[in-house]
Amino acid sequence: MATGAHLHAMGCMQGQMKNHSNGSQNLAGSSQLRMVNESFYTDLRLFRQDNLHFKIWKLSMACMSGSQFLVADPIESSSIRSSCDNHRRNNETALILLRHGESMWNEKNLFTGCVDVPLTQKGANEAIEAGKRICSIPVDMIYTSVLIRAQMTAMLAMAQHRSKKVPIIVHNESEQAQTWSNVYSAKTKKESIPVITAWQLNERMYGELQGLNKQETADQFGKEKVHEWRRSFNIPPPNGESLEMCAQRAVSYFKEQIEPQLSLGKNVMIAAHGNSLRSIIMYLDNLTSQEVINLELSTGIPMLYVFKEGNFIRRGNPTGPSEAGVYAYTKNLALYRQKLDDMPE
Amino acid sequence: MASAATCLHATSSIQAQGSKHVFPLQMVSKGFSLDMQLRAKRKNFPASLKLHAVHASSSHSSIADPIEVPSNNNSGDSEKKSTEASLILIRHGESLWNEKNLFTGCVDVPLTKKGVEEAIQAGKRISNIPIDMIYTSSLIRAQMTAMLAISEHRRKKVPIIIHNENEQAQKWSQIYSEETKKQSIPVITAWQLNERMYGELQGLNKQETAELFGKEKVHEWRRSYDVPPPNGESLEMCAERAVAYFRDQIVPQLLAGKNVMIAAHGNSLRSIIMYLDKLTSQEVIDLELSTGIPMLYIFKNGMFVRRGSPIPPSEAGVYAYTRAAATQHLDGFSLKLRKLHHNCIFQCLD
Repeated sequence: MATGAHLHAMGCMQGQMKNHSNGSQNLAGSSQLRMVNESFYTDLRLFRQDNLHFKIWKLSMACMSGSQFLVADPIESSSIRSSCDNHRRNNETALILLRHGESMWNEKNLFTGCVDVPLTQKGANEAIEAGKRICSIPVDMIYTSVLIRAQMTAMLAMAQHRSKKVPIIVHNESEQAQTWSNVYSAKTKKESIPVITAWQLNERMYGELQGLNKQETADQFGKEKVHEWRRSFNIPPPNGESLEMCAQRAVSYFKEQIEPQLSLGKNVMIAAHGNSLRSIIMYLDNLTSQEVINLELSTGIPMLYVFKEGNFIRRGNPTGPSEAGVYAYTKNLALYRQKLDDMPE
Repeated sequence: MASAATCLHATSSIQAQGSKHVFPLQMVSKGFSLDMQLRAKRKNFPASLKLHAVHASSSHSSIADPIEVPSNNNSGDSEKKSTEASLILIRHGESLWNEKNLFTGCVDVPLTKKGVEEAIQAGKRISNIPIDMIYTSSLIRAQMTAMLAISEHRRKKVPIIIHNENEQAQKWSQIYSEETKKQSIPVITAWQLNERMYGELQGLNKQETAELFGKEKVHEWRRSYDVPPPNGESLEMCAERAVAYFRDQIVPQLLAGKNVMIAAHGNSLRSIIMYLDKLTSQEVIDLELSTGIPMLYIFKNGMFVRRGSPIPPSEAGVYAYTRAAATQHLDGFSLKLRKLHHNCIFQCLD
C-alpha cells in the first residue's frame, strides 16, 4: 500500500515529518525523506544540520522505532506527536530466534540433550558472528534456556549490539537471589535488557541416550530404533522426551510468557536449541508434524520474525553488516537502524 | 620404562625458594623421550642428557646425580600418591557495567568483548595445568570466564555444569555413559562465591553515588573491612560466606587430590586468598587481583603454597610448578623442545 522508494537525504535534513505510517514523503526545503515499505531496499544517507533539528529528528525516531525509550526534549510539533500515536497503532515488534553454535559434545559427536555442556571456540565465534547480524535490530527482552550454551550465545551476541543497553539476567530462584540482584537506579534499569532463563526452552531431553556416542548407541539399540527416536515426532527415547513433548512445553511457554511481551510492543530475542526453536517455529509458521521433522535450523544464523497485529511474518535471516546494502525488514526497523547510525559511538 | 629427561637452563639469577641448595629434579614422562638442547651458562650440553640441576646465583651450573623416581604406571594414581593438588583462581574480566562505571555487586551483568578476550587469554595461561573440578559463582560473567578459559585447555575434558536446583533439573541432566563421565569436569555454581553484594549502590554511577552519599562515605564502604553499604554486605560478610564455602566444599576436594579451578569475583577471591595466605584485614583491603590473570596455588600436606601467575605457553620456556604438575603436563603428548630460552625454571618441592 505504501509507496516505497529509495531514500536519500543529501545536504541537510530538516526532520519535520508527517504521516509516517503510510509512507508519504515530506518535502521540506532541501531535504527529501521517503519512507520505505517492507519489501524494498533502503539506502539511507542522512546528515544532520544542527542540534535543534537533530533533537526533533531524534524524538520522532524515538516514537517510530520499535524500542521504547524516553527522550527528555520537549515535543515541539503536534505533527510529531501524532506520528507517535500512529506508531502505537502500528504496534510491530521484532522476534529474533537464535540457535546456539557448536558445543563441546557436538564436536565429540555425543548426544547432548539437557546435559549442560558449553560452547567450543567455534561455537563462541558463531555467537559473535550472529550478534553482528542482529546488531541493528532492537531487543527489549531476551529469553534463553537454563543451559550455558544458549546463555553464552545470547551474551556473546549482545556484546556486538549497537544499542548499548546491557542484558541483565533475572534471578528468581530464591528470595535472597531476588533481593541480592536488585538494581537501585531507575535510569540504569531503563538501559537494561532483562534476560529470563527458562527450562521450558531447553533442548529436548534425550533420556538414556545422553552422553552416548552416536555410533555406540547404534550398536546398542540398533540403527533403526535410534533413527526413529531422532526423527519421529512422538516416539521418545527411553526416559526421554519425544519432539512432541518438547514442543508441548516450549510452545506453551512461548504462548504464555513471550507472546504477551510481543503484544505489549517489546522486541524479543530467544536464544535456545534446535528442538525447542523448531517447536516454536512450528507454531509460528503453522507447520505440520512432518514439516517440523524436516526443518533444520542453521546454527548461529539468526531468524527474524515480525509480529504485527497478532500475526508472525517470517523475515528470513538478517545479513551481516559487511554485506553491501541495507535491508530494512520493516519501516520501523529501518528507522531504528538509522537512529543507531546517528548515535555517537 | 619411564624415561626421565628434562632440561634445565640456568641463568644468572634463578632463585630457589629461600635457599641456595642445588635442587635435583627428575621429570617423569610416560614413554616419551625428550629431545632437548641444553644451554647452560658457559657450557653447551648435547641433547638428551638425563638429569640436571638448577643452581641459583653461583657462576656455574652443577650437575647432580640423577634421582631415581619410582616409575608410575598408573597415571590416575600419581596425584594421590603425591597428595598434591593445584588450585587456580581466576577473576573475571571486564563486564558491561565495569565499562559504564556502575556498581555491579550481585547484579548479573555479562562480559564485554574485552572481558571475553581476557578469559580466553587466561585460558591459554593455564592450558597445561590439570583441572578436575571447577567452582564458579551463580553470575554469568564468572561462568563465561570459566567456560571460555577451559575451551583453550589442552586436556580436552569437557566441563559440565551440575544442576541441582530441583529434582527435574537433576534428572534431566543425567549422563548415561561412564566413559563420558570420566571425560567430564564437573562445574559447580555457588552463590557463596558471588561478588560482594553492594546493596543500594547496585546500578548506581560511581559519580552520582558520591554526590548522593558523600565521597567519604562511599570510600568507606568500598575500602573498609566491616562497614556495609545500605542493605549490602561488608567485605567481612562476603569473606565469611565465601571462605566458609571454600573450607566446607572445596578443601575436601583438594584433600582428595582433585585439581580445582575457581572462577569468581574480586571480593570473593580476595576473601579466599585472605584465608590461603593468612592475611590481615588491612592487607586484604589493599589486595588487588588482576582481572583475567590466573593465580596458582599448590595444596600440599594441608598447606597452600602460592605459585604466582602462570606464563602463557607462547612465551619461551616451560615453568613446572611441581613434579606432579609437570608429569601431568608431559603426559599424553610428545614434547619436542627445541630451544629453551631464559625463562626455563624448574623447582622441586622435595
